[in-house]
Amino acid sequence: MKRTFLSLAALTLLLAARPAQAQEYVRPPADLDRLVQELFAEIQSDQVPYEDLYETLLLYYQTPLNLNTATREELRALLLLSETQITALLDHRAAQGNLISLYELQSVDGFDLRTIYRVSPFVAVQSNLGNAARGPLWQRIAQEDNNALFVRYERVLQDRQGYAAPDTTSTGKPASRYLGSPDKLLVRYRVSHQRDFSLGITAEKDAGEPLTWSPGTRRYGADFYSGHFVLQERGKLKTLALGDYQLQFGQGLLLSSGLQVGKGAETITTIRRSSLGVRPYSSVLESTFFRGAAATFNLTSTLRASAFVSRKRVDANVQTSADSLAEFDEFSSGLLITGFHRTATELANRQALRETIGGGNLTYTSRSSNFSAGLTAVDTHFDKPLQRQPELYNAFEFRGRHNLAIGVNYSYVIRNIILFGETARSSGGGIGTVNGLLASLATNVDVSVLYRNYARDFHTFYGNALSENTRNINEKGLYVGLKVRPVSRWEVSAYYDQFSFPWLKFQAGTPTEGHDWLVRVAFSPSKTSLLYAQIRTRVKEYDVAAPGRNLPLTAPTQRRSLLLFYDTSPTLILSLRTRLQGTHYREDDGPQRSGYVLAQDASVKIGRVLQLSGRYALFDTDDFDTRQYVFEQDVLYAFSVPALSGQGTRAYAIAEVKCSKHLTLWLRYAETHYRHQNTVGSGLEELQGPRRSEVKVQARYKF
Amino acid sequence: MLLPTALACAQGNGPGTRGARAAGLGNASVTLTDVWAIGNNVAGLGQVTSPTVGFYAENRYLSRALNTAVLAAALPIGPATDGKATRGVVGFEAQRFGDKLYSEQRLGAGYGYRGSLISVGARFDVLQVSIEGLGSKRAVAVSLGGQAEVLPKKLYFGAYLYNLNQAKLAEYQNERVPTVLKAGLSFRPTGKVMLNAETEKDVDQAADFKAGIEYQVIDALAVRGGFSTLSRQTTGGVGLQAGQFRFDYAAAWHTALGLSQHLAIGVQLNRAAK
Repeated sequence: MKRTFLSLAALTLLLAARPAQAQEYVRPPADLDRLVQELFAEIQSDQVPYEDLYETLLLYYQTPLNLNTATREELRALLLLSETQITALLDHRAAQGNLISLYELQSVDGFDLRTIYRVSPFVAVQSNLGNAARGPLWQRIAQEDNNALFVRYERVLQDRQGYAAPDTTSTGKPASRYLGSPDKLLVRYRVSHQRDFSLGITAEKDAGEPLTWSPGTRRYGADFYSGHFVLQERGKLKTLALGDYQLQFGQGLLLSSGLQVGKGAETITTIRRSSLGVRPYSSVLESTFFRGAAATFNLTSTLRASAFVSRKRVDANVQTSADSLAEFDEFSSGLLITGFHRTATELANRQALRETIGGGNLTYTSRSSNFSAGLTAVDTHFDKPLQRQPELYNAFEFRGRHNLAIGVNYSYVIRNIILFGETARSSGGGIGTVNGLLASLATNVDVSVLYRNYARDFHTFYGNALSENTRNINEKGLYVGLKVRPVSRWEVSAYYDQFSFPWLKFQAGTPTEGHDWLVRVAFSPSKTSLLYAQIRTRVKEYDVAAPGRNLPLTAPTQRRSLLLFYDTSPTLILSLRTRLQGTHYREDDGPQRSGYVLAQDASVKIGRVLQLSGRYALFDTDDFDTRQYVFEQDVLYAFSVPALSGQGTRAYAIAEVKCSKHLTLWLRYAETHYRHQNTVGSGLEELQGPRRSEVKVQARYKF
Repeated sequence: MLLPTALACAQGNGPGTRGARAAGLGNASVTLTDVWAIGNNVAGLGQVTSPTVGFYAENRYLSRALNTAVLAAALPIGPATDGKATRGVVGFEAQRFGDKLYSEQRLGAGYGYRGSLISVGARFDVLQVSIEGLGSKRAVAVSLGGQAEVLPKKLYFGAYLYNLNQAKLAEYQNERVPTVLKAGLSFRPTGKVMLNAETEKDVDQAADFKAGIEYQVIDALAVRGGFSTLSRQTTGGVGLQAGQFRFDYAAAWHTALGLSQHLAIGVQLNRAAK
């Protein structure tokens, strides 16, 4: 209590002492790791492309949003403000004119100190200076501060099976081996300015991928390249993107990339998607982006049109091969999204299919920005028909060459309620719909509801609306979320989500259903510390072995996780984080199995030059089903959530060294030490001995 | 060979119990700050304000073979202000467990420092395990600790990592000194009541959950109770303060193995001016 009062007093004092010329609030460094902890409730799989998601979030949060020009939609996309707060801010801006400094947020209704501290790293108050006033484009690009080259190297130190000398299998065929070196390399250059331009080039080689110059197989050195050039705010032309870009319209039913958090501990704001339109792409996930051109025009002050065309080659299992190395799970049937091209099989599937996509969006936004409605069309064409494994669960999956999907979306704010939704139809007649509302019932009570229904024959390739499945198909569900701040410093958030899958799925031979709920109680004793307890339970049905039966049998599988988290920065130089995580897992009436992790992190800032962080964690899980995913700190723009199973310790240390104004280095060493194990991993990833160690080095040069 | 001890203490040559106060609290002791912090969580040493010597004896299940004796000392460096030694505190410890047939010896040295709301500490141990007829093995273990006041004077947090280097005792079956991480919270709503909860994990053992309560009846007398889920013990104890002397006694009850007793005596060599 006393500390809040003091900080308030300090802020007020500073405010009072503000000289005639607006003094700029020193933007605190963004603690993205902590933000991710708050947004992602629990990572339960390494199938989900968290790396990409995290990176998009990072990029998004790294260029501060200018509060004087931000639209309602952009403010929503921050995920940190409630609808009431956004309305209050827009009203304040309309009534008082541009904000003079970030301190002014204190006088906006509904902005408490916690909110201000939470958003302050991600927003800025800048005068609304036209781009032209800063000189011609080439000069603006050359003079941009946000201009950096990244080089990253990583590898696992132990020898793995996949890199051993070729051998023959019992059938006499040569065993599968990785064709490249175990080094992973990444080079990236990017320069961007908010609402002006973005230019970027990325090249990547994954571990096991060869560096080859072979134009015949479309391999030019590194395995993956990406590049883009984006111009924004040129009169009527709002955005023009050339090269690789991503699209986000409506609720993401047809076009969505990047900013999806989904079900998490932030139970209100994250269930709605923001219509951010065309954005640059510079990540390294080798799917979920478009390659070609896209543009957005402001036809009138209320009507905005976007058009895009994309043509690229994607990985696919075009001929159903007898090779069992290809994974046919619910995420990758037919189209392969891992982006790995390490073995002969993976190389054979590389860029096997050419995908051409064209489409557009027309959006009307009312003058008050309270109402908006849009129409989206996406036409996808493959040069060869897609084939799926002839399994019953694939019966309604997309097959063929052509898919046209058309959808409408809306968003409407009445008082303290926002209604939103999107409905779309794909070729073949499948319909998908997602509709929801967010409401601020009181200043300290928020609720959310979301209903979704994706038909078993609804096909989208770039859709990613909220769902339990990784794709928007074969699912019905109802989500209810709640967030309450009963007293200051305390916050209770909860959601309950029930879902059903009307058709069969991978590993579920009958129609199935389930539910998922979460409760988190968070307490922030001071602005630099946070303590929370969270419980999450997910019940889903999967196939169980039923000897003597011809029909498949599914039974509920329950996974209950408990998380206790404590984060504090007692001084400016030191921060500590403790995480206790446990899981109970039970299939039907089977035995209960459990997993446990206790992790202690520490981070020390030594002068201006060096920051050291580390973790020591102990884990103990009964089996792979109770494996634990624990978020780890990594070099900037990288993401790490290893799956820990078995018994042992996991430790890492990371050093960030600011060598000069231009050069920053990151060094990371991580080691998992297993008890009672003589080998780690399986298949091509198997290594001898109880340890698996990884090194990662990254350099950033700012021009 | 090590099985009986492992069973008895749930962690042969692990961090163990230090002091009868900790024992009375079900060993939920990661936030405590007395001389026994040298073994419970070395970060707690930073709040020892005057030179203190302590002696601790433990008898498990009324068996002479399971006796432990510990001598510990804490020496603040520099003047004490604000309830902490300005330049930190060094601590030493000598411990012996067992009898002629099987014994463990430990020599430890640690350092604890308290900042404004946070304490950190580190310690080194030389451990020796001797088995009659089989000789002895020696290992060095490094441990780190941290404590923080989440809510000043009300809510405390502590974490202690014992043997982070995973010291090896023998090649045979890759026998190692247990690596143990424990973390816990202590809620002190008034000066008289303390509620502790803690989890402790040894890589090779199931997780332990411990809780304890201490009530300061009068300045000179405290009563305690607690339990620990892994070693399945219920504990109770008393503490008496008499001038420079402090006496603590605790008893622990295990359903199958019976009674264990703990006794600790502490002496403050020169009482710090309050």
